[in-house]
Amino acid sequence: MPHNGAMHIVPGLLLILLFQGLGDLASRFLLPMLPGPVIGLVLLFTFLLVRGRVPVALGTVSGALMNNLGLLFVPAASGVVLFLPQMAAHAWALGVALIASVALTIAVTALVLRALAPRDEAAPPAQEKHP
Amino acid sequence: MSAVPTLPIAEIWVYLSGNPLFALFLTLGAYQLGTWVYEKTHRHPLANPVAIAVLLVAATLQVIGLPYAKYFEGAQFVHFLLGTATVALAVPIYQGYAMLRRRALALGVALACGALTSIVSAVIIARMLGADDALVTPLYAKSVTAPIAMGVAERIGASPTLTAVYALVTGILGAALGRFVLDAVGSRAWWQRGFALGAAAHGIGTSRAFSVHVEAGTYASLAMGLHGVLGALMVPLVYRWVAG
Repeated sequence: MPHNGAMHIVPGLLLILLFQGLGDLASRFLLPMLPGPVIGLVLLFTFLLVRGRVPVALGTVSGALMNNLGLLFVPAASGVVLFLPQMAAHAWALGVALIASVALTIAVTALVLRALAPRDEAAPPAQEKHP
Repeated sequence: MSAVPTLPIAEIWVYLSGNPLFALFLTLGAYQLGTWVYEKTHRHPLANPVAIAVLLVAATLQVIGLPYAKYFEGAQFVHFLLGTATVALAVPIYQGYAMLRRRALALGVALACGALTSIVSAVIIARMLGADDALVTPLYAKSVTAPIAMGVAERIGASPTLTAVYALVTGILGAALGRFVLDAVGSRAWWQRGFALGAAAHGIGTSRAFSVHVEAGTYASLAMGLHGVLGALMVPLVYRWVAG
């Protein structure tokens, strides 16, 4: 039977669910400090390192999930209705904290990257030609 | 008995609102509408489809008086896939791994500094301005990609919902402000700009980076994935250290 798009996703989904299950088991019995899906992520990453390439079906499913990641947290984030009175009372503090923090995080990450960039990339081309 | 039976509207409504289909339809419909607005505004960072979807769902629940818990019973089928999507993050991380190795030191140190800055700055500022603990604790994981952030939140006793909301707002702010901050600190290389955006603003920053430059987007998705793993390890440690 020829493979079409729909047939392709099942093995990919199975693989992800398998690692999700392994991660949940590991989180319950071995590493309770880490969420199960994070352990599943690390296990799947290790599997890919050993395997040396991304199976087509896995790439398809993972691409679909990544492209719609935002949809998946709509149900949880909609719970904001429960916190509105509390948040409104501290809206100013939260707004300033969120804006300042994200700006600082971007700035610090970018500055450290530039300072530590591999030497050959950090040097502007003009200096490379310097005698 | 009348010839034309009146429709039992109230009964139909009670049946529909208790059916998971309604919550699923509302969730997907709101997201579809959000995506449509986002495209119509030429992907303006402030017209974020997730934010629009959340506002629509929240407003609908208020208007029709459906309790959030009831809505979530149906919407949990979408929610469940968050864990699956988290595991699937291994794929973009693996694909970025070849690049990662060459610049491993710079990327690793920058990410650790960025992650620490994100937590410490948000918590200190919110505390100084008088926000209470229930609102401050969910700030710890706000720069971590939402599916992981919510799992981490449960482990430090923070509300997963507020964590998801902060992560969403952080993503939108990062995508909207990123360009100006990066220009202000004189960051020019695409890989550095993308990585900084992904580290601070996870998925939303990443899709912003992709819409500007492919290399920036690739590095942003790498930063998002790595920050997810690092955040799962680091957030509980920093929380215990700060909270004493």
